[in-house]
Amino acid sequence: MGDLWCLNRVARLFIPAPRARMLGQWEVAMTTRQVTYDRAYGSLVRTATQSGIEVKPVYTPQDIADIDYERDIGLPGQYPFTRGIYPEMYRNRLWLKAFIVCYATPEETNRAFKEYIAAGQTGLRILTDTTTLSGVDPDHPLARYDIMCNGNPTFALTEYETMLDGIPLEDVDYESANSTPSGSFFTAVFLVGLVEKMGCDIKRLRGTNINDPIQAFILYGTPEFPMDLARRVTTDLIEFGAKYTPRWHPSTPDGYNMRDAGIDTFRELAFCIANIIQYYGDAIKERGVKLDDFRPMVFSTSAESDFFETACKFRALRRMWARIAKERLGATKPDSMKCRIAIRTAANSMYPQKPINNTARVAYQILGAVLGGVQSIDPSGIDEVFGEPSPESRIFELDIQHIIAHELNVPLVADPLAGSYYVEWLTKRIEEGTWKILNEIDAQGGMWAALKSGWLKQQFDIPTINLYKEIEEGKRLIVGVNSFKGEDGAISRAIIDSAYKVPADPKRFGAIDKVKRLRATRDERKVVDSLNELYRATRDGENIVRPAIEAAKAYATVGEMVGAIRMASGYCYDPYEMVQTPPFMKHLEPSANR
Amino acid sequence: MTTQTRKIKVVLGKVGFDPHDRGVIVLTHALRDAGMEVIFLGKFQTAERVVKAAIDEDADVIALSDHCGVMRLIATDVMAELKRRDATDIVVVAGGIIPEEDIPYLESLGVTGNYRAGTSFQEIIDHITSRVKKERWREV
Repeated sequence: MGDLWCLNRVARLFIPAPRARMLGQWEVAMTTRQVTYDRAYGSLVRTATQSGIEVKPVYTPQDIADIDYERDIGLPGQYPFTRGIYPEMYRNRLWLKAFIVCYATPEETNRAFKEYIAAGQTGLRILTDTTTLSGVDPDHPLARYDIMCNGNPTFALTEYETMLDGIPLEDVDYESANSTPSGSFFTAVFLVGLVEKMGCDIKRLRGTNINDPIQAFILYGTPEFPMDLARRVTTDLIEFGAKYTPRWHPSTPDGYNMRDAGIDTFRELAFCIANIIQYYGDAIKERGVKLDDFRPMVFSTSAESDFFETACKFRALRRMWARIAKERLGATKPDSMKCRIAIRTAANSMYPQKPINNTARVAYQILGAVLGGVQSIDPSGIDEVFGEPSPESRIFELDIQHIIAHELNVPLVADPLAGSYYVEWLTKRIEEGTWKILNEIDAQGGMWAALKSGWLKQQFDIPTINLYKEIEEGKRLIVGVNSFKGEDGAISRAIIDSAYKVPADPKRFGAIDKVKRLRATRDERKVVDSLNELYRATRDGENIVRPAIEAAKAYATVGEMVGAIRMASGYCYDPYEMVQTPPFMKHLEPSANR
Repeated sequence: MTTQTRKIKVVLGKVGFDPHDRGVIVLTHALRDAGMEVIFLGKFQTAERVVKAAIDEDADVIALSDHCGVMRLIATDVMAELKRRDATDIVVVAGGIIPEEDIPYLESLGVTGNYRAGTSFQEIIDHITSRVKKERWREV
């Protein structure tokens, strides 16, 4: 641990008196000085970080006097992992360059994956369209608006076959961004189904499933799996993952989406950790799994524009998780006390006014994440606020990361910010604020209870409204938006025009014909048998992941599988109560089974 | 009722499966703070339900939000339903992620504003107020 930190400690031991006198004189000078903020010179408008942490003009050894290097910071690769989870950090392995690839059709998405892999993409992140994410098929009456929006409609295994055709399935990192309750479930079901169908080994399926129904109830609100069902399906996925897919993480919290909705960093971390305690706590209690059954936990979080807050957040998260995993969730292996951090850069920080500025935002956000020692980076597109990121903007985001790695030389040294008085103080301050929220959640009996009582929703709405008020009132400056405004030039115009737009309606509605064609050509006997089995397993309280995989292999659709699971739980077929049960599933209706 | 105390009534709705509702939640509060009466219908609405709610509530304004880039289709359906129910006097405004090339078409339907992220609330409030005063209340 020979670094600046040690020198500070030595200094404090041997020359305390002059330092105290020096600080005292400085403090007197500061308090008697008249500070005027002159906007004409571009003065700062705030003295707090993005999450409202008031900060002093300077930090000194006194601010970190209660931090013990060995106990609180330590070395990379060692408990409590504040400085990173690998001894040599990025020297051995750079972060995954993982972003969502989700164009309107599985064919386009397949071509894009191949192009991006060639350009350096190492984490393949899947996002389905908004319709499928909501638990229905393209021929649902409400689907016409959102078919092919934000992704391609992966309503059946056929679409995964096309989307991942020719791309290795083993030993490649697949990440899912489908974070509604059914979205997470079907990503796992289709991926495992495809791996098996191609004759590959599901033990070698690698990656992460964002699976965070509590977050989804607040932010998506899709009704396909009501709370009891969503809770059970999540526990099923964790149990299945522990037994059969040791390298595919079955459930990671979606801190990114929560943060993007406008909450502060304390709540982002606290809700992530509390959700993990809830989901894995359920599985440990009810299914006999152990945290040691899994590879290091994955946290999906956000990288924001506030530079130091972003970098420090990841240090705080690792330290907190290590303690919680060990002391609360019974981890005994060091690996289970580590967490891998996957970030997405903040899409809500990208603005349509002077979009050229988004290039600076995304680059600094990535840099903050790298300085914080994260394992996976998914940047927002500089044109994302106008549509899906264009191929060039995706390649540009990869290049930012290549520049940081190979030109800036930032990853050469682990946790290079450690030992800074401010960074260590801020890391601790974020941790303290997060513990406070965690204790509030514990007092309520966990996150499902906090969701049901309405407390959680309030935690989201109030900060979101305050955030926008601050922007409106000029207490938070956004360049080009509420300050430093200007016209779009040729470069900004090109960014606006290059975003990938939702296709015209005739192409979008092609998916309706496609699902109808599938229904007409598949082996209906197999479909009905497998849906019957999915229904039975759901009704009898068995783990439903395997029966759903078998139904997917028989080409049952998302809407049909959702319907079977719902009916076996006493709900009607269609979550949106707009379509009738299909004739071949009529016998599964709750009324037919009374 | 005098014009000073008369409140503008706005029905906010999201048609289809687009889950992004932070903008519409914040706007609901901003319009309320500006003295309007606001009803947010929630997500997963149909065009029919939005129009029915606006008529039932005797609303002055329908405000539509969409982040999927398909306001073109949503607005077409809402305007057709308003026509069918003989309620074209209701002012319709929109916001979210709206492709620029769709804006002339939306304007031609009578759907105005078409705001994107970063627009100040005051701009939206002023626009709604001026359209309602001119078209609904016949004030100059």
